Amino acid sequence: MASLELKQEIQEALKNTTLSRTLGNFCATYPAKRAKSYVGVDFEATRDEIREVKGYAAEHIDEMIEKFTENCTAKGGHVFHAKSTEEAMEYIRGLVKEKGVKTIVKSKSMASEEIHMNKVLGEDGVLVQETDLGEFIIALEGNTPVHMVMPALHLNKEQVADYFTEYTKTKNEPIIAEEVKTARRIMRDKFIHADMGVSGANVAVAETGTVFTMSNEGNGRMVGTLPKIHLYVFGIEKFVNKLTDARWIFKALPRNGTGQRITSYISMYTGASEVTVDKETDEKAKKEFYAVILDDPGRRAILADPDFQEIFDCIRCGACLDVCPAFALVGGHVYGSKVYTGGIGTLLTHFLVSEERADEIQNICLQCGRCKEVCGGGLHIPEMIMKLRERSYEANPNPVYKFALDAVSDRKLFHSMLRIASVAQAPFTKGTNFIRHLPMFLSGMTEGRSLMSIAPVPFRDIFPTIQQNVENPKGKIAIFTGCLLDFAYIDIAKAVIADLNSIGYVVDMPMGQSCCGAPATYMGDRENARKTAELNIEAMQADKYDYVVSACPTCTHQLREYKQFFEEGSEMYRKAEELGSKTFDFCKLFYDLGGLAEAGDDTPLTITYHDSCHLKRELGVFKEQRELLTKTNGISLVEMEESDVCCGFGGTYSIKLPEVAAPILAKKLQHIQDTGASVVAVDCPGCLMQIRGGMDAHDLPIEVKHTAVILAEKRGLI
Amino acid sequence: MSTTDALFERFKANLEAINGECSVAAKADAGKAVADIFRAKGLSTACVVESDFVKELGIVPALKDAGLEVFTDHIRLHAETAQGGVCEVQLGVADLGTVAQVGDEIDSRIVATMAEDFLGILKASTIVDDYDALFDAICALPEMPNFVGFVSGPSRTADIECVSTVGVHGPLRLNIVIIADA
Repeated sequence: MASLELKQEIQEALKNTTLSRTLGNFCATYPAKRAKSYVGVDFEATRDEIREVKGYAAEHIDEMIEKFTENCTAKGGHVFHAKSTEEAMEYIRGLVKEKGVKTIVKSKSMASEEIHMNKVLGEDGVLVQETDLGEFIIALEGNTPVHMVMPALHLNKEQVADYFTEYTKTKNEPIIAEEVKTARRIMRDKFIHADMGVSGANVAVAETGTVFTMSNEGNGRMVGTLPKIHLYVFGIEKFVNKLTDARWIFKALPRNGTGQRITSYISMYTGASEVTVDKETDEKAKKEFYAVILDDPGRRAILADPDFQEIFDCIRCGACLDVCPAFALVGGHVYGSKVYTGGIGTLLTHFLVSEERADEIQNICLQCGRCKEVCGGGLHIPEMIMKLRERSYEANPNPVYKFALDAVSDRKLFHSMLRIASVAQAPFTKGTNFIRHLPMFLSGMTEGRSLMSIAPVPFRDIFPTIQQNVENPKGKIAIFTGCLLDFAYIDIAKAVIADLNSIGYVVDMPMGQSCCGAPATYMGDRENARKTAELNIEAMQADKYDYVVSACPTCTHQLREYKQFFEEGSEMYRKAEELGSKTFDFCKLFYDLGGLAEAGDDTPLTITYHDSCHLKRELGVFKEQRELLTKTNGISLVEMEESDVCCGFGGTYSIKLPEVAAPILAKKLQHIQDTGASVVAVDCPGCLMQIRGGMDAHDLPIEVKHTAVILAEKRGLI
Repeated sequence: MSTTDALFERFKANLEAINGECSVAAKADAGKAVADIFRAKGLSTACVVESDFVKELGIVPALKDAGLEVFTDHIRLHAETAQGGVCEVQLGVADLGTVAQVGDEIDSRIVATMAEDFLGILKASTIVDDYDALFDAICALPEMPNFVGFVSGPSRTADIECVSTVGVHGPLRLNIVIIADA
């Protein structure tokens, strides 16, 4: 459960108008910029290569360290292999003292943040100057990065001018071009006089002993060109084996990071390069070159854990932040680790910074899966965050959630509760289909949207009365209704049956079915998820049907993944596999079974379509429903902006973190309104509940309908 | 348009797209071309790293003739105040407008980093097609030099309010002169 402290931090972040403007703009324009930068480059193939080269290095990590050390040393470098953050810092501290270093210029190095280098050396009286503009600004502010690539996005030019005025003791105007000139002037002096340069590595190559640094501002090159002593600090995850392996990373890194085909500078240092040691005499010599490899227990724990090992494939591009609907609103400070933020930051925080903080911030993830699409290393970030959630829940189950999820996994109890709720909700529904306000601590659940009410009679009681007149049926399909179709959106279930009947299939409803178990899965309660899977596998009797249809992509995905809960080779595994292979989401099944035939009432209807996260990204269905809709006479489809960005429902997310879910929904509503459509089509009852609730709360006259309902209505089937 | 011209044009278009400038000159005209560029920018001082090829092009005398004060030694010292910087760059990439500095020699790295106006001299024959060809060329070196650097346009930042601004710690302007017959 998200703590009160986290909720307060989120509220504070949401109040920062500069953050919402700059980060919002950046995240909104990022996908198009990124896509443009990839023209002519096969992203999928590139990230496959990245996974391969980084995976190889991870599997041979000791060999990488050994080879790098040998090759860098052979080229005049000194390599220190630090087995802990403390050991790394002590080595650096000793080196700085031994060399009499008083001033350090530093280009970006996240590893140096992990070991608290600035603070420790600062206490020793050494001036450690951050030279990256964003890092310099936040150092003046006394803050931590709000974004891995753009650390000072939360500040506006007026605030920057104030910090510069305070620092330079002369008035700075809030003009960005002038502020950049001021930064150049301040830093130039520091670069010229620094005793030591400190760099972070984007990549380290074992077979040549080379370290790579990528930058735009040129500070990285200054740090590596002017000081006589040069220190690199980087973690073992930065290794690749061969020089040629690095090419894949620099193909994806600038494109994913900032939408650039290449950054202004990519520098490769192999051992001790030349430096001018005395500018008056023009004497030149090899610089003193040091590399500290951070090989701490946290990194080893990642490598040793099969569920998380792929974290080593991360190239630190920050793309997972840039497409995350929650990050776009709250920024990086709420992640609180002071080093890593966003989706990947949650994982790195767990292993490298603080497990407690990671337990907290994993709640920010919507599980929408958008980060997976763009991740430069092909990491399964949402799945890994789910694993963290599961482990957190196992170690420390929330008693309220436990009670609720235990109840949900007991079908009879759960369904009795829903029947009671359909009566008990009366004071809140006030005779409508919505619950618009809830009292006291539940009030957040109705923030920015109304909740749907529970149907007076569940679908399971209505199903036996439905007439299915199908002549010469082509087959028999079992419907899995899930909670929402059974107890709230009866009309969707009816439409699914009418649609499937129209193409010659009879539909049956196995009555033993219950909740699909997704709520338990997404809360990290694997045991209740497994119990529910068992119950539904037995209830659905997949062997008796040609297909199983669900009109909720979350349920569909859950059913298709049931086998994960059982031992391979067991009877339950076999049954789960059968159920999974026969289960399809409505529009996919309807499309595949011949639902595409042109039909429709010819009455003009402009609709827009919202993609469900699960349907698009987990089930890969996004063309079929559009074709079904556009082939229905009368319908014209107008695409909305960001149609595949989460609506903020996220299963239990909108209840856990309504502070974040509400503004995500507000943005979605705006995009829908902008299309001018009178109906928004969805395929997920959760999205329908969220968006319809938003329309009601904001008094907007746009209808929200399931694709199955639209098709049935326009084709005169219901 | 010949294949070579097409390569120049691609290089130029891609460099200009990242705020760089590019021109083409024959060996015989290179000194004058460089001097014209610096004079047009109003520069009065420049550091020049005289590789054999830069010497052959007569860039230093041309700059001096144009009235600039030119430094060819004590580069680290003079680069602190000189406005312009000139050195040879070893490779170009048509597809990106990128140049590569390959080698350990410090003065070239200093002028390419510290000058407000950096001008790189690029032999046309060293322009490769794309990023992969550049990487292949680096990987094919018999031994990895102590330093290799790719430079793509002038320095830039978007760290304040995401507003793209050209010219931060590195050069404010970058100009590449391609020597067509080299």
